[in-house]
Amino acid sequence: MTSEPTKTPTMIECHSCGAGAPLREHFCPQCTNILQLSRHGDYFSYFGLPRQLQLDPQELEKRFRDLSRQFHPDFFYNGPATLKLASLERSSYLNDAYRVLKNTAARAEYLLGLEGLSPLKAEATAASKVAVPASLLEEVFAFNEELDEIREARESGAPHGALVERLERARAPIVLKQDEHEHQVEALCAQWDADHSRATLEALRECLLERHYLTNLLATIDREAASLASA
Amino acid sequence: MAYSDKVIDHYENPRNVGSLSKEDANVGTGLVGAPECGDVMKLQVKVNPVTGVIDDAKFKTFGCGSAIASSSLATEWLKGKTVEEALAIKNTDIVEELALPPVKIHCSVLAEDAIKAAIADYKAKQEKGEPALAGAQPHA
Repeated sequence: MTSEPTKTPTMIECHSCGAGAPLREHFCPQCTNILQLSRHGDYFSYFGLPRQLQLDPQELEKRFRDLSRQFHPDFFYNGPATLKLASLERSSYLNDAYRVLKNTAARAEYLLGLEGLSPLKAEATAASKVAVPASLLEEVFAFNEELDEIREARESGAPHGALVERLERARAPIVLKQDEHEHQVEALCAQWDADHSRATLEALRECLLERHYLTNLLATIDREAASLASA
Repeated sequence: MAYSDKVIDHYENPRNVGSLSKEDANVGTGLVGAPECGDVMKLQVKVNPVTGVIDDAKFKTFGCGSAIASSSLATEWLKGKTVEEALAIKNTDIVEELALPPVKIHCSVLAEDAIKAAIADYKAKQEKGEPALAGAQPHA
């Protein structure tokens, strides 16, 4: 695992008894009270997991359930305000962390951010351009053109039955490609766990970006299918 | 965030939508994409081999309103320009003309990339020396 930068604190002060507690703890080892949520640390350490991209979903779920029970605001209902707040904050952070970590792509995107790679947001494009393979662009363009033609045919009153069939024919290769991408992402995740190399992360970032095209295309197909079904 | 009137105008009445023949030696094609938002943009120029002036420009963009407007505006500007003048078009000119907000600046970058890609494709074709254009030289 990559080492943490030295300036990041590793201890948190317990607001109940003033003792120092390691960041990975949720409850003070001295007084056993719930600790306020630290601004440091990440989703992986919160679950007591190493910063790895492959994880056992059952193990993650088990930890999620255990922690949700321990943090549950009901237990702190009559307690001091600081503990009530800590329980709320820890519960809500836990939910966010679980939502991200349980999804392969979201987990990988999150890790890219932790490792200092630019986010996958549109605004970042100008600063950090990724070269999309020309062959993929051509395919995406052709897929888009086909969908455009289907939409135009629908708008000019072509019989819907044939268009639905044509739309499903267009969907099949995209779904296939998405599956391919899924495997590629999984392979790169395994590779990162093994080598923790920057090059692997960058390949992963490109792969995740390319997925946006496929996700967009499938969303367009779903919209078109809905229009065909409703009219 | 609201689109400017100019963006809306280009979006609703895009200029020069369509395709030119990719096989034509005088046509340069640029296909670029912004994977962050799933946009793809195709921009083509048809250059007069004698004068080096862009006679025609076409585009087809699958993307947001700003991406469509940026490429539509780019084709308008390209017509009548020489290849070298076309290369001088900057994304900031597009941003200014369309009053694009900061979050949409990448759409103008995409349009500039598309212009550069189309002209690079045209020049590459010329250098290959298409027989039909044996007399035409790339314009420096």
